Amino acid sequence: MTSTTRREAMALISVALAGTALGSSAFAQGTPKRGGILRISAPANPSSLDPATGGAGSDHAFLFTMYDTLTEWDFETLKPKPGLAESWSFTDPTTLVLNIRSGVTFHDGTPLDAEAVKFNLERNKSDPKSNIKADLASMASAEVTGPMQVTLKLNTPDAALPGILSDRAGMMVSPTALKASSAGNVTRTPVGAGAYAFVSWADGEKIVVKRNEKYWKPNRPYPDGIELSIIPELTTGSRSVTAGQNDLMYQLPPRQKAIMDRVPSVKVANGPTLYVFQIFLNWAKPPFDNVKVRQAFNFAIDRETFVKAALAGLAEPAYMNLPKAHWAYDKSVAGLYPYNPDKAKQLLAEAGFKDGLSIDLLGYPDQDSVQRQEILIEQFRKAGMNVKFSNAPIAEASAAFFGAEKRGSGLLAAWTGRPDPSLTYSLMFTKDAYYNGGRAPVPAELEAAIKESRASEDIEMRRKAFATVQRLVMENAFVAPLAFQFELVAMNKKVQGYKPNLLGKPKYDDVWLES
Amino acid sequence: MIGGRLLQALPVILLATFMVFALLKLVPGDIAVTLAGDNATDARITEIRKIYGLDRPFLVQYGAWLGQVAQGDLSQSLLTGEKVATSIGRAFPNTLLIVAIALVLALLTGIPMGLIAAVKPNGWVDKAVSLVASLGVAIPGFWLAMILVAEISLKLNWLPATGAKSFSPSPVEAIRHALLPGIAIAAYGMAEVARQLRGSLLEVLSSQYVRTLHAKGLSMTRILWLHGLKNVSVNLFTIISLLVNRMLAATVVIEAVFAIPGMGSLIVRGALQRDFPIVQGVVFAMVIVVIAVNLIADLLCAAVDPRIEQ
Repeated sequence: MTSTTRREAMALISVALAGTALGSSAFAQGTPKRGGILRISAPANPSSLDPATGGAGSDHAFLFTMYDTLTEWDFETLKPKPGLAESWSFTDPTTLVLNIRSGVTFHDGTPLDAEAVKFNLERNKSDPKSNIKADLASMASAEVTGPMQVTLKLNTPDAALPGILSDRAGMMVSPTALKASSAGNVTRTPVGAGAYAFVSWADGEKIVVKRNEKYWKPNRPYPDGIELSIIPELTTGSRSVTAGQNDLMYQLPPRQKAIMDRVPSVKVANGPTLYVFQIFLNWAKPPFDNVKVRQAFNFAIDRETFVKAALAGLAEPAYMNLPKAHWAYDKSVAGLYPYNPDKAKQLLAEAGFKDGLSIDLLGYPDQDSVQRQEILIEQFRKAGMNVKFSNAPIAEASAAFFGAEKRGSGLLAAWTGRPDPSLTYSLMFTKDAYYNGGRAPVPAELEAAIKESRASEDIEMRRKAFATVQRLVMENAFVAPLAFQFELVAMNKKVQGYKPNLLGKPKYDDVWLES
Repeated sequence: MIGGRLLQALPVILLATFMVFALLKLVPGDIAVTLAGDNATDARITEIRKIYGLDRPFLVQYGAWLGQVAQGDLSQSLLTGEKVATSIGRAFPNTLLIVAIALVLALLTGIPMGLIAAVKPNGWVDKAVSLVASLGVAIPGFWLAMILVAEISLKLNWLPATGAKSFSPSPVEAIRHALLPGIAIAAYGMAEVARQLRGSLLEVLSSQYVRTLHAKGLSMTRILWLHGLKNVSVNLFTIISLLVNRMLAATVVIEAVFAIPGMGSLIVRGALQRDFPIVQGVVFAMVIVVIAVNLIADLLCAAVDPRIEQ
């Protein structure tokens, strides 16, 4: 795993070519240029700039600029690849050896060595303020086995760990900064080893970062800095790009794409992501305690139409929790619930609801959510289900559904992807998982299969295990997936090199600005 | 008078912050869940309640907040750790600038409209003013805001579409950014000022002493400016103080449309995330502002009409 990645190789080649007269003329149009400030419209204030104490999925768009991770992922498939760890290997199923890249320093000059990695992993696992203890549950200890080598002892085989280290748990924070802070966190004073160093954060207003001049990736980053303006109103955010006040906006609502396409100075990039709209079900209580009702519910959804009507066609119909592009996607599971209202009615009748049934769901009150609800209500009606939505803001609805109150039979929301799919499944489909709203038991073979998916490092073995997991989840119809949202990024035409990724959380690795 | 008014403010502040605190705690939704993040577990949520003291009885939590305020500390955001005083210090000038611009515009347009309408009641000018005023009241600020952005920012490119700039390096830029939101809020104020002024002027102009002034041979202009306006100024100050309060409330929506990081955006963010120190801090600051505005209006009224002080 020590080979240079394709991207790095390409960068080296283009740099070499740029040095020659031939190269500079042949690549004149597309040669990345240094300089300029990338101005971004971001939809949410981060919950924290400390990877261990934050919690929102929207934080990554900020964190990735400042923190590098031990492993990284492939933009298209999310397979883990070397990051700050230039290689890793399982010497046995419960021992993971990480070889740390040499010569990397944090923004404050602290060397990023084995000691720093050990310090971070232990903090993430056991600090009382850490929100990511569960991510490292399989890690028993981290030992320094060389100046640039850390060996993780696991209490159970865990092949998901390399993927997990590409997320919060693998973001390395300067130990010097952590030890110096009185509260033991760097929520407002982040010091990482990423492409950009922190400058300032005004809550709800702006985050500014500047180029890390000592960044380890050759020639990166290109811009001098990034300014992220926090604009929660998405239409206002897109207007800021149209008006030229910002260069780039991510999470463009699908209905805005047609508008953006008409603006000559703006282009839109899109690609599939793991972000899936879905209806979480509470299978601890009626009516969803009956598997036939859950299956009927899934047969009643016309996902193709939903994508066209609710998401302007800019999404992939979801028949399970992984999209086609993912390495662990299983085609056979995708065929389990074709749109079939008659089959839904028949299953309802078998479940004792010959004359139809009323279902109370929870949802969110924003314009896009309500539109999705209206389309679904109509689809369910055709299958004999009278669905009613009670709407409340995210904090309220999700606490009511997943928390102690257990309101509603289902919740129309979304699941943001995780770098390793085992987390997606264990966080929703195990008995005590928070996102198993009813905390109701699941079949023993499902829990076993989730465990199995982490047991072997071999990708084929893992693929097989995930096929079983997905099949069991969907046969039991524990969830009603709807659609994988496309990542939609609107940007000024002078922004070059932006690539969407499957995780759907923007990274600006190769972005540069035309002058 | 001032000392007494300030003393009166105390129970208002207590009551307002207590009620908002109670509301935030009564409505469902829990910041512990937000704090626990995307990979939440039941155990983690319980642990967070303990760490942040969210498991304490409601009155104890309010008391703790109050105790900090008494020491001059508005505490910090539970989520991001930013000092609430810092957030407010940054947000308030943005909101203040919009409201100030809106108020100036409302007065600059509303007062002449009210005057000319009152001179010839039921004439065509009066009817035109009445129509414009009705539109001003009826048009929602956020709709006007979006039309303004579409036409003036995006099409003509005269003024920025979003954001706010600080006053200190460049006052011109700050005003350019605040102008469109100011106009959007001013429309209602203009209508209100014009209608109220017309009403009270008509009352004054139909009074007996004005008839006497006419009889003495004073010109209409002189009667209007010297005697009319002076007599309606008490009403005007009251309208202005109510208007400022209303405009402050209107910023909640307008700031969202223009992506202005002001008091409105701040309290919306705090309320949606159940980050109660932020909400409490904004309510606290706003109560003080409203009381101050009312106090100033009363002092001005007393200055032009000595009868009020007694």
